[in-house]
Formats: sequence, C-alpha cells, structure tokens
Amino acid sequence: MYDRKVVRRRRAALAVFVILSIAILTAYFGESGGGFFHTLQRGTQEAVAPIETGASRALKPVRDFFGWAGDTIDAKDQNADLKKEVQQLRSELAKAQTELRDADQLDGLASLHEENYFPQSTAPVTARVIARSATVWYSTLKIDKGSDDGLRENQPVIAAGGLIGKLTSVTGGTAEVRLITDGQSGVSAQVFPAGVTGVVRPEVGNPKDLLLEHVESDRRVTENTLVITSGFKSSRTESLFPRGIPIGRVTKVDLDELETYQRVHVKPFADLQRIDIVQVLTRRGVAQQAASAGGPGG
Amino acid sequence: MILSVGAFVRVGILLLVAVVLELSALSQLTVFGGHADLVVLVVAAVAYYGGSIAGCSAGFAAGMLIDLLIGTTMGASSLVLTAIGYGVGRYREVRDPSHGLMPVAVGTIATACWVVAFAAVALMLDIGARVSPLVLRDMIITVLLNALLALPVFTGCRKLLRPSLAVDPLELRRRRRPPREAGPLGLRGMEI
Repeated sequence: MYDRKVVRRRRAALAVFVILSIAILTAYFGESGGGFFHTLQRGTQEAVAPIETGASRALKPVRDFFGWAGDTIDAKDQNADLKKEVQQLRSELAKAQTELRDADQLDGLASLHEENYFPQSTAPVTARVIARSATVWYSTLKIDKGSDDGLRENQPVIAAGGLIGKLTSVTGGTAEVRLITDGQSGVSAQVFPAGVTGVVRPEVGNPKDLLLEHVESDRRVTENTLVITSGFKSSRTESLFPRGIPIGRVTKVDLDELETYQRVHVKPFADLQRIDIVQVLTRRGVAQQAASAGGPGG
Repeated sequence: MILSVGAFVRVGILLLVAVVLELSALSQLTVFGGHADLVVLVVAAVAYYGGSIAGCSAGFAAGMLIDLLIGTTMGASSLVLTAIGYGVGRYREVRDPSHGLMPVAVGTIATACWVVAFAAVALMLDIGARVSPLVLRDMIITVLLNALLALPVFTGCRKLLRPSLAVDPLELRRRRRPPREAGPLGLRGMEI
C-alpha cells in the first residue's frame, strides 16, 4: 500500500526534473548567443528541420482543408458585413445622385432666368415634384407647394430648360401641373427671332416632340431656331403665359396637305421625363426686348 | 508504467510525433484565433496511464523538445510540463479514476494549467510576452479545443502505451462490474 521506496523515487524524479529545468533556464539566461544551450537549440532545429518540412508537406492537405473551412466561415461573416456596406453605399450613392440631379436642375432654372428674353419680375416659387401621372402620356405632375405659398390656377410652370406647363388645380399644400405634352394643352408661341407665331400642341405620347401648328407657309421656319411663348394680348383675351419663356428648338418642318400651313416639330428644352424641381411663375412679369437670337441649353 | 526499453521508445515516439504535429500542423490550424495544443494532452495522457514518474519524465522531455525546436527560452516549457505531468500522475495514483469521460476533464484542466502557468512563467521571466485580452481569448479557445480532442488523444495514447502499462484504468473499470445476482449459483456474488 504505502511503499516508501516508491514515494522517494517519485519525489526524487520530480525534484530532479524541476531542478534540471531551473538549472537549464538559469544557464540559458546566463550564457551568450554562442553558448552551449543556444548551440544545442540551433543544432536540434537543423537536425529536425527535414522531419518538420516533411511533416509540414504531408499535412498540407489537412491544413488546407481546415483553412478552407475557416475561410468559408470567415467569408460568410465578411459577406454579411459587405452586404450591409453595399446597402449603405447604395443609399449614399442614391442620395448623392439625387442631390446632384437637383443641383443640375436648379442650375438650369437659374441660368434660364438669366436669359435675355426671359420675362423679369415673375416671382418664381420653387417646388419639388411629389407625384407624376401614372400613364405614359406625361400629362400631369403634382408638386409640393399650393395656395398657401401663393400659387393659383393657370400660373405657368417652368423647369430646367424652359416651359413645362401650367397649374390646373391648387390645394393648400399641393398643386397639379398640366404638362405641355398633355392632349388638352396648347401654348401660343413664336419662333424666335423670326417672329412667326403659332400654337404649340403635343404629339401625344411622345414627350420629346411638340408641334407648332397654324404657322402659315409663306414665312418659312428653319430648323434649329428657338421657340418661345408669344404672350399675346388682345382686347378680348390674353395668353396665360408671359412672353419670352423658352419652349424648345425646331427639329423638323413639314407642309400640310394643302400646303397652307407648316407643321413645325419642336423638341422641348425641359426633360419632361425627369423633372424633380420646378418653378411656378406667380406673377406675369415683364417681357424683355431680345437682344439677339440664341437659345438656352444649346 | 513498467519501465522498459519499449516503454521509453513508445513514449519517445509519442512525444516526438506530438511535438512535430503540433509545430507542423496544429499550430497553423487556427479556430477563432486559437489552436489546439497536442503536446500537453499527450503529456497528460502519459501521466494519466503511466503515473507521476512517467508523467513528470514525459513532461520534462516534451518541454525540452518544444524549447529546442521552437527556439524559446530553454527550461521554461519543461518546468511547467514537468509539474503538469506530475500533477496528473499523482491524481491518477491517489484517486484512481475509471470513468470513461475522465480524460476530457483531465485534458481540459491540464491544458488550462499549462496555458496559465506558462503565461505566468513567461511574465516572471520577462520573456516579452504580454497577457492581453487577445491572449486570454486564445487561451480559452485552446482549452476548449483540447477538451474536444482529449478523448481521442487519450484513447490513442492508451492503445500505444498499453503493452507497457502496469495498470490500465479501463481494465479496472471492467473489473468493477457489479457482482452477479443471477445465473448459476456458483457464480453469484462474483465480479466476472
């Protein structure tokens, strides 16, 4: 049961190994880099290096397998993080692009007011588009300003580039804009600077093409000339639109069947498919005398 | 453990394979930043099956091998592993455990003692290691991984060392079956 010899042997073994360890530790600390234990370490490492290299090569598939498993787990975490990051960057990008587009449109509106033929003192109210007509006819828009902001029905509405329509109904905080591409729309216009007048009507369903109708064929209209609102006045009636708001540029001129009128195709300056910011001209303004021919936005 | 040339060779091969495997493969297989430590498990297994003398001898030899091959301060690993080998061996001699899952507990505690004691020695010797939260995390992961590996490592070591074992804990457990209460009258009350 209690063998003193075994106990002594056990204690002796422990003492020997502990003392040996401490002695080696002390000697190792005490000696220089070229000492016995350092040399022994280097020699052992050199001797065992081939075994380690062989073992390392042999076990490479195992390491690769575990590495692959670990990488897969890490990749899943990374994937989730990256998805979040992509989502965040997308929303930032969308915000930046929206702001850039808004800035472009505001810049376009500002430069429109600087044109020498644009009516002055129109008291524009800037508004943001909050809804568009759900049809493909590009007929109406809804904006976030209304009668509380001084808007009234029939006031002209412009966007970057030129005229886009007029207000047809106004509530306290919103207003509806009928676009010049709506089937019921008609704007008295003239070709600038020739002074040929007509009525701009839509080519319904095609927001990139308007028709200047009732233009007599004796005064030929040439391509690339500017079309602006005429703002005519007579004793009985008056145009809703003040004179001088740019509408578009002449792209093509056809003669009708009887060759009495010309059908003038006009490409609107305003991009009616992508309008975010508009201005409502709350006062009729004063038309300026044009100094020279030329158009906004090229 | 029966002291013989065969026992020395077996333990020597076991330790060499464990150290080489540890350095060539296991130390590079990181799981959540930590890795398993095979050497301390093998020392604990030798001590568990062979007793305190075999345990402290294996611990000293394994520590020397590690220090020689890694190039760390010689004597530090062997000092700690000697103590662990002796401790596990003494536990085995005093308590004589025979439960089948005892290697898991022994391996886990031995690994925990190894990582903590080595960190303490490293701090005392001012080797340059610092106990940071990252080191603590790695220590915990190493202990958990070793807990998972303990049973297969102990089983493998037991099979290899079996010819040299004076007492096999598994055999002890088999022998401790409850006495027969049924069957032929002559066999009742016997542990067979």
